[in-house]
Amino acid sequence: MLRRTFLMLATSLATACAASQVNAACSPDYTGVTLTVASQTGPYIASALKLGADEWTKKTCGKVNVVEFPWSELYPKIVTSLTQSDATFDLVSFAPAWLPDFVPYLSEMPKEMQSGKDWDDIEPAYRERLMVWEGKIYSQSMDGDVHTYTYRMDLFSDPKEKDAFKAKYGYDLAPPKTWKQYLDIAEFFQRPEKGLWGTAEAFRRGGQQFWFFFSHAAAYTNNPNYPGAMFFDPETMDAQINNPGWVKGLEEYIRASKVGPPNALNFSFGEVNAAVAGGQVAESIGWGDTGVIAADPEQSKISGKVGSAMLPGSDEIWNAKTKKWDKFPSVLPGPFMAFGGWQIAVPKAGKNQQAAWDFVKTLTSPEVSGQAAITGGSGVNPYRKSHTANLQLWSKIFTPEEAKEYLGAQSDSINAKNVALDMRLPGYFSYTEVVEIELGKAVAGQTTPQAALDAVAKEWNRLTDEFGRAKQLAAYRAAMGLPPKN
Amino acid sequence: MMRNDPIKHVFIWPAVLVVLAISIFPLIYSLTTSFLSYRLIPPIPPRVVWFGNYVSLLQEPRFWNAIYTTTLIAFIAVGLQYTIGFAVALALNARVPGERLFRVALLLPMLLAPVAVALVARMIFNPTMGPLNQLLGRFGLVNLPFLTNGHWALGCIIAVEVWQWTPFVVLMMLAGLQTLPEDVYEAAELENASAWQQFWGITFPMLLPISAAVVFIRLIESYKIMDTVFVMTGGGPGVDTETLTLFAYQEGFKKFNLGYTSALSFLFLIAITIIGVTYLALLRPHLEKRR
Repeated sequence: MLRRTFLMLATSLATACAASQVNAACSPDYTGVTLTVASQTGPYIASALKLGADEWTKKTCGKVNVVEFPWSELYPKIVTSLTQSDATFDLVSFAPAWLPDFVPYLSEMPKEMQSGKDWDDIEPAYRERLMVWEGKIYSQSMDGDVHTYTYRMDLFSDPKEKDAFKAKYGYDLAPPKTWKQYLDIAEFFQRPEKGLWGTAEAFRRGGQQFWFFFSHAAAYTNNPNYPGAMFFDPETMDAQINNPGWVKGLEEYIRASKVGPPNALNFSFGEVNAAVAGGQVAESIGWGDTGVIAADPEQSKISGKVGSAMLPGSDEIWNAKTKKWDKFPSVLPGPFMAFGGWQIAVPKAGKNQQAAWDFVKTLTSPEVSGQAAITGGSGVNPYRKSHTANLQLWSKIFTPEEAKEYLGAQSDSINAKNVALDMRLPGYFSYTEVVEIELGKAVAGQTTPQAALDAVAKEWNRLTDEFGRAKQLAAYRAAMGLPPKN
Repeated sequence: MMRNDPIKHVFIWPAVLVVLAISIFPLIYSLTTSFLSYRLIPPIPPRVVWFGNYVSLLQEPRFWNAIYTTTLIAFIAVGLQYTIGFAVALALNARVPGERLFRVALLLPMLLAPVAVALVARMIFNPTMGPLNQLLGRFGLVNLPFLTNGHWALGCIIAVEVWQWTPFVVLMMLAGLQTLPEDVYEAAELENASAWQQFWGITFPMLLPISAAVVFIRLIESYKIMDTVFVMTGGGPGVDTETLTLFAYQEGFKKFNLGYTSALSFLFLIAITIIGVTYLALLRPHLEKRR
């Protein structure tokens, strides 16, 4: 009997020792914790979340379940879950523009995460602007998004093309400084008989189309003399979307639709990338994914020939205060933080908040996020200083020349003094839905650019009044980084 | 058990309460919401506006456009489904060779989920990678703007609806055809009635009740079209293909404008009821003649 008791005791002790050794490998130990993350359908972003999940599981022994929804379904799913205060999701990944709608239901980032080397490594445009709402931090950037320009180096460096271009337009063929030059280049390379078209942009309703239009308009409406007045007058909250700067942007966006592949009107960003990687177009604008996909020999016909630059700009920008065009001594580049990069946050109702924030830390660490940024199709673009500084990291996918241009375009755009921030407002979908509808009509020629934008402005003003002008004004000023109005 | 035995209440009331809880209460709640200005995002406290939502909707060109688009899709699609379906059912009833194979093959589209059908259709009509435009290109024809031009997009949606739901009409009409008495046709043969005369004099009138039911079901179902349009065009270009249900979805689940969406749902219900009642009223004299 004594022998049996001793044996049992020894066995229990050995089991306990073994268990403690296993758990010692989990730091912090989240054994038995399963986090559920809401994401858009992969591979974009969902694959990056899975990459982070694998690392977090190795580190903490916790598990992560990534639940995917189509892009158009993500917002309703998250809102439904948040407003009902259910604990369906431990984490939600979303567009920065939705943050104002989600803020009442999100937990604040732990203070200890808001300092240190990894924190300072995040580009200030994200750390100090996009991640902040009314002075508090509720989410963490897990992707950097700014629109840049992509072009085919082989065409642009061809002496015959250069000579022909100069003869026709009177200036050198090079990445455009202005949107007029951008359209000239598109027109020059429009050769349907050879399977080559000028440019590719998204024009499809529900296919990220309005961000492409915003990129055109940013050059004429984001005036440094009157900051934050691109979308609304920051003093009155009157819609600015039908001012002459926006109309000019829309006219050029419509012109761009005519120098693209057949049925470009049905293009979403996915089709833009396919057209660029397929060598069908000479140039394009879009997020950083375009360059990464086009450089990948497995996905692209133009790998090794992918050039990048900042978005074109303008030397004339509409001033919403004086209601006149301001003339600048030289062309100001017009980078636009379209979409602004995916954010990840922890709902207040979540039952595993500590574990959830720990997952965010791993997911967005320089190492894990750096790996995601160079993985084509992860949807993650640079948002840390270390992402753009580490040329060696990018040599896996780019030639040195490509890497230099790509990282230069990303870094210069994010850090440009006049970088335009995307609109972030409560009721975001109500504002952008009417833009999508009227853009569709204008691009299809059913209405004029001015009439389309007048209709948008009318609806924006109506929505602002319905939601409360003072509340919306305060939110808009916060989103644009302006101090509260007394 | 006597008719006035109080025990009957024990059996009846639970069922009545369940019905009230799961069907009548949501309807009443929804009706109440339709009289409120009530948004979930951004959160705005509910405010009574009585018929304000209904008035705004009736003054909203987008609402009338959605009614027009839905009606156009429903009437053209159901008209084609009925004509083609009836013709195919007649052919199958004539015992053509391989009739069984046809019958099974014809049922397949109906068994597929509309979302899956719409996804396949979207690929087929894809401007650059779609086989349809590639085929046209091989014959030297230009690419057609299948989903980017309003008229073409409506045509594509109608084509998909016809493809998917004609088998339902075939199935129902075939079942009807197989119940028709042989002796009437034999008598007609003796009178030297042509096939055309037999169709208009016997088949069509005798199948009128089932035709009325089939068209009615399809018409009501077509008015509820959502997934096909959502996947194929998202309601675009502009709002050219936006149907009533898609409009309600955008308002309800994108903008979370609950009061407005409830009013929209009730207007939808009224519209469907008017169409249904009118349809039955128009058919009643013909159906009564058959009795």
